[in-house]
Amino acid sequence: MMPRRSWGRDLRYLALYLLKRALALLVTVLIGVYLTIVVANMGGQVDDLRRVQIRSEAFEQVRADPAFQEMASAERNALVERRVALEVERLRLDEPFILRSVDYLQRAMRLDLGRAEQMHSDAGSRQVRAIIVERLPATLLLFGTANLLVFFSAVGSALWLSRRYGSGVDRLVIALAPSSAAPGWFYGIFLILAFAFLVPLLPPGGMVTAPPPDSRLEYAASLARHMLLPVAAMFLSSIFVSIYAWRTFFLIHASEDYVEMARAKGLPSRLIERRYILRPTLSPIITNFLLMLIGLWSGAIILEQVFNWPGLGSLLFQAIGFRDTPVIIGGVVIFAYLLAVTVLLLDLLYALLDPRVRILGEGRSGT
Amino acid sequence: MGKWGVMAGALLLAVVGLALLPGSRAPLSKGEPATPEALAERRGALIDRLVFTRESDPGRVTGLLASGSHQAFVQGIGSIPVYRRLRDTPEADYDLAYGSSVELTLNPVGPEFRDGRLNPFHVPAIREALHRLVDREHIAEELYGGLAVPRWLPISTAFPDYARLAETARALELRYAHDPAAAEATIAREMRALGATLEAGRWRYRGAPVTLILLIRNDDERRRVGDYLANQLEDIGFTVERRYRNAEEASRLWIASDPAAGQWHLYTGGWISIVMQRDQAQNFSDFFTPRGRAELLWQAYAPSPEFDALAERLERRDYADWAERQALMARALELAMEDSVRLWLVDRLSVSARASNVSVAADLAGGLAGSALWPYTLRYEERLGGEMVFGTPGLLTEPWNPIAGSNWIFDRMITRALADPPLLPDPYTGLYRPQRLSHAEVTVAEGVTLTRSLDWLNLDHQARILVPEDAWLAWDAGEGRLVTVGETHPEGLGARTRVRLHYEAGYLEQRWHDGSRRSVADLLLPWILAFERADEASPLFDAAHQPTFEAYRQHFRGWRILDTEPLIIEAYSDQAFPDAETLVAARAPQPLPWHTLALGILAERHGELAFSSHQADRRGIDWLNLVAGPSLAILRRYLDEARSHPQAHHSLPFAAALSPWVEEAEVEARFVALDDWVTARGHFWVGDGPFELAAVYPLEGSLVLRRFADFPDPADKWLALSRAALPELATEGPLVVAPGEPAEVRLAVTQAGEPYPEAALEGVRYLLFDGQGRLMAQGAPRPLGDGEWGLTLDAETLAALGAGANRLEFILTSHWVALPSFASHLFATLPADAEEIRP
Repeated sequence: MMPRRSWGRDLRYLALYLLKRALALLVTVLIGVYLTIVVANMGGQVDDLRRVQIRSEAFEQVRADPAFQEMASAERNALVERRVALEVERLRLDEPFILRSVDYLQRAMRLDLGRAEQMHSDAGSRQVRAIIVERLPATLLLFGTANLLVFFSAVGSALWLSRRYGSGVDRLVIALAPSSAAPGWFYGIFLILAFAFLVPLLPPGGMVTAPPPDSRLEYAASLARHMLLPVAAMFLSSIFVSIYAWRTFFLIHASEDYVEMARAKGLPSRLIERRYILRPTLSPIITNFLLMLIGLWSGAIILEQVFNWPGLGSLLFQAIGFRDTPVIIGGVVIFAYLLAVTVLLLDLLYALLDPRVRILGEGRSGT
Repeated sequence: MGKWGVMAGALLLAVVGLALLPGSRAPLSKGEPATPEALAERRGALIDRLVFTRESDPGRVTGLLASGSHQAFVQGIGSIPVYRRLRDTPEADYDLAYGSSVELTLNPVGPEFRDGRLNPFHVPAIREALHRLVDREHIAEELYGGLAVPRWLPISTAFPDYARLAETARALELRYAHDPAAAEATIAREMRALGATLEAGRWRYRGAPVTLILLIRNDDERRRVGDYLANQLEDIGFTVERRYRNAEEASRLWIASDPAAGQWHLYTGGWISIVMQRDQAQNFSDFFTPRGRAELLWQAYAPSPEFDALAERLERRDYADWAERQALMARALELAMEDSVRLWLVDRLSVSARASNVSVAADLAGGLAGSALWPYTLRYEERLGGEMVFGTPGLLTEPWNPIAGSNWIFDRMITRALADPPLLPDPYTGLYRPQRLSHAEVTVAEGVTLTRSLDWLNLDHQARILVPEDAWLAWDAGEGRLVTVGETHPEGLGARTRVRLHYEAGYLEQRWHDGSRRSVADLLLPWILAFERADEASPLFDAAHQPTFEAYRQHFRGWRILDTEPLIIEAYSDQAFPDAETLVAARAPQPLPWHTLALGILAERHGELAFSSHQADRRGIDWLNLVAGPSLAILRRYLDEARSHPQAHHSLPFAAALSPWVEEAEVEARFVALDDWVTARGHFWVGDGPFELAAVYPLEGSLVLRRFADFPDPADKWLALSRAALPELATEGPLVVAPGEPAEVRLAVTQAGEPYPEAALEGVRYLLFDGQGRLMAQGAPRPLGDGEWGLTLDAETLAALGAGANRLEFILTSHWVALPSFASHLFATLPADAEEIRP
């Protein structure tokens, strides 16, 4: 009976713990999204900017159109006013910002991303969901490839280096670690200069050749060619510091008493690596891996601009330029939800792996 | 780890190897040498295939041109370093466009703001003096690195009005030439009159420094212009507060705020025109009077009664003839300079970059993207065929449909290549030339001032123009029928203009890209649709279309089809333009394939798609896109339906009105052709231009145009307009003239080393200024033949100049290019006792 009671109690604690974490994350998302809405609209001041912009554009359109050249000024100004009124109505600028912001928020929280105000998907849809979904694969492909490459190369190399502490290669990696202070796009500019213009081996940007090849193999080859430079740029910018960080991490764990004991017992080094170093450090590795997956596109804006890559980063860049609030909110809310779900999954994972988390968490929350 | 590491490395190498396959880097074909026979035989575009692809970074333009991966970039580039690189790169070349300008907007309220601070720019004399304070040559040459030309007047230096008024313009420019000492003296005098005092070199008013707030745009070279202006103002005793703002932030202050609140004194403004404006008379009202705009800044303008009246007359085109108009313009220019609520500083030049072996007609105002002739003139130098890649910063920015689709300049540039309009504007003069017309007849009522420049049309006057009873005046959306003038105006209807359009023989036999034969319904349906979209009772009603339509209805007086072989259309209107050519272009209907429109109409009627953005947003549906996206599936469904019901009453929109022009068999043939077209190309954009839309790749950001081999015209039809015929002027004459001696000055006008063709010459004039910049003589030099002119300045004229440095200006205007050309000859006249002081 005792084990069953204990199991039931654990489940209850776990459920309570997860519920509280979910609520906390939901509130975090809510606050984050609302802050985005307020910031993207400069607390409503963007409305004034837009009104001025709409009026100026309407005036210039009417002024430049020969069809209206013979109109008297009063008639022309009346025409401008009508156009302005229609646009103001379309963008709901006649409603107070505070009401619109609440509406944006409740829609965003329900993942009803709505329609963009100015932008379209490349295929021509004004649905924010379509706009984002259209660009998502390109970003996932580029940043997924680069980050997975960095992650596995770094972990593998770090493990290897942790066995060669103080060697020449180890010292080289330590020396090169500061090179990661420069972001990927910075390396990108030099790589483009070197491999697209000085030695024109690779394209300077874009996703595939224009026009895209018809055969799948050629399409894949073209895609790979276009990915080489951006992937290389991201790889260069983060590989050395990643190796350095993981190497340090593994070195710390490699000096634990139980690892020393295993070594003293004469166990093979590969077994020690797998069973005594990798297995106990799996949780932080998985955490790092998942957060890396979620944060794939967080550095995409400038890099995608540099490489003319049609992904989410370029999309957000355009959306900010257009001040297209629904698209900005759409991008942020999807990221926020993905992050929240990941954190919740990690909480669940930790709680399952380590009962202290849920019990202590419950205890703390009860006090 | 070792095994896995080797495998991962091998995989990586395989990917890199695949990526570096040489096949994926095949060079573009440059076509074959162009022989006269091949040129005469070829139809449609001069090249075989053109690919547009996204490329927004101007910094890469030169590299991409040099590498041969791109042949041209459609955006106008204003970056000075890129311009310099283009000049220095042998594989690259460029065309210049003059469509934008930089000016200084002044806040004219005052003399005090609401809070009691002084606003010196309330005083016209101070505003006027600023002209002399700023050195426009410095701004153009140093701050813009040569990518600008000085501008003083409210009319662009590259547009026809400037050439027409060149003598007045040149005289004014010299009157307001850079003279900081004179400017400072005037400003000091006026400041004292306002009650300000100069203490320790700084102006003070009521005990406080006179601080000028200068709004400086920080998103382009105007930042440097603003700093330069601030320095000049500080040098003459003002305290200047520099506020750097981007476009949006600045507009909140200079346009949206009350100028009386004094949030700014000066603003570094700018304007853009992507088409050549042949009539800039409206500028006086727009930029100097409260009629220009409704905003408070414009309401603060207080032009002199004379200037105001002149500006209004020019706006209403209230002049008896062209000579009177020119006189009004000349006086308005003078008054605009005296008023000076705006000071134009420079006309900015932008660069359209292309490979040096590529030739194309770029528009003088809009560059490559604004050129109507680019699809007809694009080629590799002296070659025929081949492929090119164009970089564009925007592609498929908004959905494409011909009724209310994407209006983005770069999208419009591409769709222009897919259409074959009845007339095309000359990229260097803005004058329309016939493309599908053989000729036109223009008749205007008395009191309408209109000029004809080209000989493909006739112009005559008539005391009164009556619109025939059988002309169509409107469309009754409720009853679905055309309404004639006789029905609505039994007492008769008059019009100010009549245009008779004579289309070329066989116009209605020509084909759309899908092989369908053109029909009158292609001309009629877009017109009916314009009425439907403005009718609140129609399912196609679009509130955003209504204001524009109402403006059209105000001047439209009817049209009718006089004949169909050849096609002759007569159109009546109250609208007039200074150029008869522009009037014809405005009245000529642009055909659109009725069968693709029919599918769009069905989709909008059923609430699935909408032609316009406004209507799509209002109804929460997709904006009709003929080339990509969710629209295609919907259109496909309606196409299938039309194919299964090919009867006119079912699939022909507004069948009662259109069926007289469409045979039953044509309905089926059209949809069959469209079906084949869509199946092959994957989109619904059917045009009739020299290029057809071969493929669209929205996600990859590229699209492909292919030569339309069945285009009716030979490929070399517009080749003569590939380059602007800009004349080059050179003068030769004495540098020093002794008293009592005449002087002979010669002018040579050439183009590419050859004498400038006489047929192209509109006129050559000269202006003689003395050392003080006063106009002392003007006239026409005598032609000597072979592109040379001579001018003898007699001793009497030279004596009137007095001793000193003088300037002889030649002004040449051309029929072939709107930009006037200038040449100066500077010479000194010696004093009467010069013989004695000569060594």
